[in-house]
Amino acid sequence: MSDSSTASTITADEIQDEVFPELAFRQAESKKMGGAQAIARQHAAGRMTIRERIEKLVDSNSFREIGTLAGTGSYDENNALVSVTPAPYVAGLAKIDGRPVALGGEDFTVRGGTTFGSSRRKGGQGGFIEDLAFHYRIPLVNLIDGAGGSVTSLKRRGHSVFPGVHGFERSVELLGQVPVVSAVLGTAAGGPAGRAILSHFSVMVNQSSQIFAAGPPVVKRSLGQVIDKNDLGGAKVAVDTAGTIHNCAASEADAIDQMRRFLSYMPSNVWELPPVVENTDPVDRCDPLLAGIVPEKRTQAYNMLRLVRLVCDKDSCFEIQPTYGKSVITLLARLGGRPVGIIANNPMVYGGAMDVHSARKQIHFMELCDTFHIPLVFFVDVPGFMVGLKAEQEGTLREGMRAVCVAGKLRVPTITVVIRKCYGMAGMATCNKNDIDLKLAWPSAEWGSLPVEGGVAAAFRKEIMSAPDPAVREKEIEAQLKPFASPYRTAEAFAVEEIIDPRQTRPVLCEFIALAEQRLRADLGLKPRYGVQP
Amino acid sequence: MPQTEINSPVTGTVWKIERTIGDRVEEGDVIMILESMKMEIPIEATTAGTLQAISVEHQDSVNEDQLLCVVTS
Repeated sequence: MSDSSTASTITADEIQDEVFPELAFRQAESKKMGGAQAIARQHAAGRMTIRERIEKLVDSNSFREIGTLAGTGSYDENNALVSVTPAPYVAGLAKIDGRPVALGGEDFTVRGGTTFGSSRRKGGQGGFIEDLAFHYRIPLVNLIDGAGGSVTSLKRRGHSVFPGVHGFERSVELLGQVPVVSAVLGTAAGGPAGRAILSHFSVMVNQSSQIFAAGPPVVKRSLGQVIDKNDLGGAKVAVDTAGTIHNCAASEADAIDQMRRFLSYMPSNVWELPPVVENTDPVDRCDPLLAGIVPEKRTQAYNMLRLVRLVCDKDSCFEIQPTYGKSVITLLARLGGRPVGIIANNPMVYGGAMDVHSARKQIHFMELCDTFHIPLVFFVDVPGFMVGLKAEQEGTLREGMRAVCVAGKLRVPTITVVIRKCYGMAGMATCNKNDIDLKLAWPSAEWGSLPVEGGVAAAFRKEIMSAPDPAVREKEIEAQLKPFASPYRTAEAFAVEEIIDPRQTRPVLCEFIALAEQRLRADLGLKPRYGVQP
Repeated sequence: MPQTEINSPVTGTVWKIERTIGDRVEEGDVIMILESMKMEIPIEATTAGTLQAISVEHQDSVNEDQLLCVVTS
């Protein structure tokens, strides 16, 4: 190309408004959102406007808005434009860490972010922004601040809309193809609440966000219950108790940071490998603290999160659902700069026993990593499923077996490191025994269908009861069987692939995770759909 | 001064209280040990500071998420 053709070009910033005044005016109207008063109210509630949220979330100057001019124009008697109330949804294309994403969110300053009745939706289920993510195979970011449809649209349309006309089909399809992240940044009910759930990662802000199927007025009318919206759908319920939303953030800025962090581990879609970052933490680092981290006394708990952090790349751990289903820890991390999913039983919480909540949490995390070709590493210390009446009433057995079922169908490379206990069916949910997936163990490991202690009393009941001193006989049988429970006996039979010095955990894992790349590459693409889960 | 509340991760009983109010603690120091499901659960300081309050006593039953102690840093 000749130099003369570039000499007269200008950059986007140098474009003068006066050439196309109506375009410039309409663009300026859109930037005013719901007006100064509404913006002040949004700020007074401790919330950012949708435009501030987008600016905070994306790489600087990377936001290319789509649908800027959508809205409701008001015209004078000569049909000249007076003003435009923008559509209550701001959307477009942007970059996060240099990678393109589709993003959008309700503008609460315009009619509380309710839909405005255009012929084509900008965002929300079935909206343009979902299609953009789908067709260009890029992540979708939902910045949710709205309560969905309003009965006022009845009057405008003249008829009611059948549920599913603006359905979740696209939202559902996206879950198998590109990362979807959602932040609940206000009070969400209806469609926006549904979309927050149809996400790979969701976050809400402590105190200033709530999410529920229906808010306090509906609850009062239906059940006569009078309850504050924070007590009904605040983070305490939605994150800690129900696991409806994955993580709680201290502020909107924190929520945005968490979404960026989550996306940093994800590929742009299922046809790409997850991004590898430069790593400064030596892959052969052997932390001496690992040698003494498991107490000798087997009834003493220890800090599993610390153990995992000592193994993974420094500062690379990002915990998903830290306050829900706490008997298992699920986190995204890196080994040698490569993303991995870590699932670690937490002996601090009921000895690491799997309950209905931790099973559900583990299932979501396994499916997430399997979908996006992120290898899994299990750090195992699980005594079994949680027992007792409450656990049975909650359906622990069914949810636990669902975890076993999903683990059995994993296609990503899976490495299992048994730290201490690995018992029963819950133990089966900690590995994928297909192909050549590796099972490693520390010398502190012990496993079986059930522990020798307790197991003896049931299996040798007759013999124990007929002994002159049953308690002594029980101890004797336990002592006879104990040597067979040594992990070294299992290694002799090559029924566990390797027993390693705990300090060697990082070098071994880094080597196998690096090796996994070719296997992951060969398996890129959509995950097949499976039959019925239990 | 920021106060960090340390809550019980489990339902169980207070088996041993290892430190006293006013003690200086480092992150990871064991403040007390609970007993639950036949396991000893060490309750560690999640931040460095001064142990400002202990809200349970030896052999108390504690519920999940119940406040155990407060560290001021």
